[in-house]
Amino acid sequence: MKKILLVATLLVFVFASCQNHSGSAKQKKMAIIVSTLNNPWFVFLAQTAAAQAKSLGYESKIFDSQNNTALETDHFENAIASGYSAILFNPTDANGSVVNVQKAKKAGVPVFCMDREVNSPDATSQILSDSYSGCVSLAKYFVQTLHKKGNYVELLGIVADNNTWARSKGFHSLVDYYPGLKMVAQQSADFDRNKGLEVMESILQAHPDIDAVFAGNDAMAMGAFQALVAAGKADHVKVFGFDGAEDAVQAIKDHKISATAMQFPKVMAQTAADYADAYFKGKRDFPKKIPVAVELVTYDNINDYIAYGKK
Amino acid sequence: MLKQGIKYSIAILLVLVVLSQSVYFKKLSDVKAAATKVFNAADYARKYLKAQLIPAAKAAPQADQLIPMLKSSPGKAFKTYAHGMDIGNIRFFMVQGDGIVTDVDENDVYVLTKDKQTLKIAIEYVFGNALRDAPGIIDIKDFANTMDLNNIAAAVDKIIRDEVLPPFRSQVKKGDNISFAGAFELNQEHINLANIEVIPVVLKINK
Repeated sequence: MKKILLVATLLVFVFASCQNHSGSAKQKKMAIIVSTLNNPWFVFLAQTAAAQAKSLGYESKIFDSQNNTALETDHFENAIASGYSAILFNPTDANGSVVNVQKAKKAGVPVFCMDREVNSPDATSQILSDSYSGCVSLAKYFVQTLHKKGNYVELLGIVADNNTWARSKGFHSLVDYYPGLKMVAQQSADFDRNKGLEVMESILQAHPDIDAVFAGNDAMAMGAFQALVAAGKADHVKVFGFDGAEDAVQAIKDHKISATAMQFPKVMAQTAADYADAYFKGKRDFPKKIPVAVELVTYDNINDYIAYGKK
Repeated sequence: MLKQGIKYSIAILLVLVVLSQSVYFKKLSDVKAAATKVFNAADYARKYLKAQLIPAAKAAPQADQLIPMLKSSPGKAFKTYAHGMDIGNIRFFMVQGDGIVTDVDENDVYVLTKDKQTLKIAIEYVFGNALRDAPGIIDIKDFANTMDLNNIAAAVDKIIRDEVLPPFRSQVKKGDNISFAGAFELNQEHINLANIEVIPVVLKINK
């Protein structure tokens, strides 16, 4: 009789714990931690991820790291302590964010990176723009537009961000085959429009005779364009950006800048949320890194595009 | 007493077996070499070209079959023949064919096929992912580092630029009958068949 009671009690416990488990599955929620909400591109990324999480039936919350890895660490600790089941993550720093990803992994919380890369195998999957290949396409157009010769300036993004170097390497993998194209200056402007303006003004003092500017993002390209306008060189110097930001798309239409490479933050954010959903449902074999195609946008195909994606 | 001895012997034997399976020795130099091992993209590209890309080019659909299919049933053509490693709209096709050279400029050779399809063969800008992705053979899951994949594409393109293009480029002229095989890129959202540019793998001027 005692044995029967014991088995019955055990069965009740097992049943209760199963109920509890399925109950918690319904309450799973996603934390969306982004590098900054001070840039409309990242606002769009975060909001799209939140919308996709909601459409999949999950609660979510957006955390703004304000480009500060210490604040990002606080967000990770809060998210883990508050019971978030997955983190959709746009890292602040490829190396500085590694510790946060490790922390999440230790807590059993999967991390899906969006757009920016983190130098750690501990992220469950990283959904990233194929910046390198996008810049190979952009570089081909650059060489064709300049007829294989001229002096140019390169504005780099944040030096600690892998995207900065993926874009630069992709660009140079083609442009460097043309000895007639000479890079007279290469400086970082931190992906920032105002810094792009300041750095370009300073470069123009030393190198007034340039034919083109390749900027690692559209914000810097627009800043450089402003500097060229102020110097009376905007008609002659061709500017190339990267992102597909709203003002750059309009500037291509207005013949102010020559080209950009369109990224698709919507695709990255939706894929990250979809992957988290699949993870909750048991999937584990995610590709460590999944590239999202980047498309060349010029005056010839500008009508096919709007900011952050296609019509 | 004898039974106890057998018991202890079996227990010791078990412990030894467990220990021998738990511990292994490797040369420190081997471990260091593995840790610093750099992916050799040039080597990979050479093997890929020979064992996978050239056979895929030889098995590719004819331009006279593929281009009309892209015009009449683009969805089916993409589903049947296109590949791409990235998420998104950029897709790559393998293709082969024969045709007459209608023009040659510094960047391309212009070809008219038997069934009057027009396309270009790139002889200047042989760059990008077409030759890496079009056969659909390389699996992204085999590469944790995306730069390795970028380097494969660059290395395959370099072989073509260095070894396939020079003899063809120096001889090809308007009116030549040529055979070609290679890969091209299309955006599946905005299909532009007027500007197909094939990145070549095999080029031959037919005498």
